[in-house]
Amino acid sequence: MFRRAGMLLLFWLGAGAILLHAQDFKLFDRDIQVHGFVSQGYIYTGGNNWLTMDTNSGSAAYTDMGLNMSSPITDKLHVGAQVYDRNLGQLGQYHPQLDWAFADYRFTSWFGVRGGKVKTVLGLYNDTQDLDFLHTFALLPQSIYPTDIRDVTIAHLGADIYGDILLKNNLGTLSYTAYAGHRSDSIYDGYTLLEQSQGVDLKSQGGLQYGVDLRWKTPLKGLLVGVSRINQDITATGSSTNPVDPTGPLVPFTSNSNAVWTNQFYGQYVKGKLRLDSEYRRFFTNFGSGSGNTNDVRGWYVSGAYRIIKKLEVGSYYSHYTIESVYYGPIALEVPSQTDTSLPQNHIYDKVITARLNINRFWNVKVEGHFMNGYGVSTYPDGFYPQLNPQGFQNTTDALVIKTSFHF
Amino acid sequence: MKYLKAFLVAAGWTTLLGASAMAGDVKVIANPSVKAESISARELKSLYLEEKSSLNGAHVEPVIEKHGPAHEAFLRDYLGQTDDELQKYYQALIFTGRGMMPKTVTSDAEVVAYVARTKGAIGYVGSSANVEGVRTLAIEDSSGAASGSGSGGGRQLVARVEPTYPEDLQKRSIGGTVRLKVVIAANGAVDHVEVLGGNPILGESAAAAVQKWKYATASSKTTMEISVPFEPKR
Repeated sequence: MFRRAGMLLLFWLGAGAILLHAQDFKLFDRDIQVHGFVSQGYIYTGGNNWLTMDTNSGSAAYTDMGLNMSSPITDKLHVGAQVYDRNLGQLGQYHPQLDWAFADYRFTSWFGVRGGKVKTVLGLYNDTQDLDFLHTFALLPQSIYPTDIRDVTIAHLGADIYGDILLKNNLGTLSYTAYAGHRSDSIYDGYTLLEQSQGVDLKSQGGLQYGVDLRWKTPLKGLLVGVSRINQDITATGSSTNPVDPTGPLVPFTSNSNAVWTNQFYGQYVKGKLRLDSEYRRFFTNFGSGSGNTNDVRGWYVSGAYRIIKKLEVGSYYSHYTIESVYYGPIALEVPSQTDTSLPQNHIYDKVITARLNINRFWNVKVEGHFMNGYGVSTYPDGFYPQLNPQGFQNTTDALVIKTSFHF
Repeated sequence: MKYLKAFLVAAGWTTLLGASAMAGDVKVIANPSVKAESISARELKSLYLEEKSSLNGAHVEPVIEKHGPAHEAFLRDYLGQTDDELQKYYQALIFTGRGMMPKTVTSDAEVVAYVARTKGAIGYVGSSANVEGVRTLAIEDSSGAASGSGSGGGRQLVARVEPTYPEDLQKRSIGGTVRLKVVIAANGAVDHVEVLGGNPILGESAAAAVQKWKYATASSKTTMEISVPFEPKR
């Protein structure tokens, strides 16, 4: 594994060094642009192990990278693709995936179509959450953008329609994206890991998703507000221990969703060197037939970032996450519902401070402190896993995150 | 003597204002294939943010400067963001596949050369740059909402009268950009012109010319801000 990681890193850095000076070139008389990024992090925690790493001892198993190519075919049509690879503790494990690959035809400013594998537009940062160099923070607020289960919302194989409408009377710009497609989770994602702790070996998880995002650049300079909605119809398959004969052979496992949806509301205000963001997300799942459970996840955050000088930014956010799990049917007799969000197992309140140093246009280093109350471990993951904390959970976790990223 | 002193002070201020405008202002240029004499500030911003890729129905391709005073002035005056913010904006497009990096060059001369040879290209340069071979576009800064007198969405200019460039100022290489507030009637005639900024002598000349301009008809009166560049010959 380490050899593979080393080879990949060397390849990406080598490619980056070469391509830094050759991002644009012609192939068969077509303009091609090539861009890429790589990031490396280190996390040390006091309290619980976090994000599937042995962070209590300090862990640098926190690497990701991407490489893309794009080309205009006509004035209105362009095509491109990006490969993404990561290793985050026990997640990703350096299995590269096609991050996005699509053709984009823009008929006019207010109407365009994309088809292929497309990053899902959801809130301010869902589609750019992997792009460390774009953000002040090393980790985006995990109440809204949980990195361990990024696959749940990250992309779909299908089509988008989109456009930007310049409103009359100087009322700003309204941008819309509507999409439908198929979500397919990696088996190296956090949900698979959580299911393993419950005796389920997931082989696949995914299904139909469709949604819409509307965002309004208001007439007040720097103020953007928006709303997103996704509906999903998810099926998970695999094998599980036999509840009647736990020591016997595994039995087939299938779970279908009755309802999976997300509502998100967001706002952003930028004035000079100051950026303020706030988002609210409600993520609801209902799995089971006659017997099952619902998860009602509610998250919000408020963040501020300020650029002190060109090379130095500082930022802070407060991230608030709660989960309510309700069981119904026969299983409710065996497993109690969790509806008291004041208990540490049902919430994570995270206070964060960050400093970002821009060494040059392509390279940055971030140092970040997290001060978390609660561990929110339930039937849906959010950074903390029982098998990574066999000694039991502590109520608070403090974390030091150091991360550097390079892009070209 | 008193009048001579007043004249010298006025001339000094005029020269200073002209020089200041030349240092800080940019002009927007386009390949002669671009079918426009003017562009609204809003359209310009949309083109550079890749929200829009055509002007009057024809494809246009923006080109940016990597750095320099023209780049800084363009970002400040027309995009309302810093270079770092603009780079991040483009990177978000590039790394999600939603757009590509515009052609980037390093000097005014390279912008002019690229725009001159590339069909549909549009760029910006310092107000003193030699723009032979390309077309300079007038910028219409819409301010209808602020004045509350119409849509202000950027009225299409259909007839333009070139302002007179006073010979005396040309000889002294005094130029720059004049900002005007223009009230356009529903029938397209210019109702009123007010000089907002720039060299006062050039402002007077620009206002006299703009008063004769004709815009496309609209459902109501519109108030706009426009910029008229004066380029000293070299």
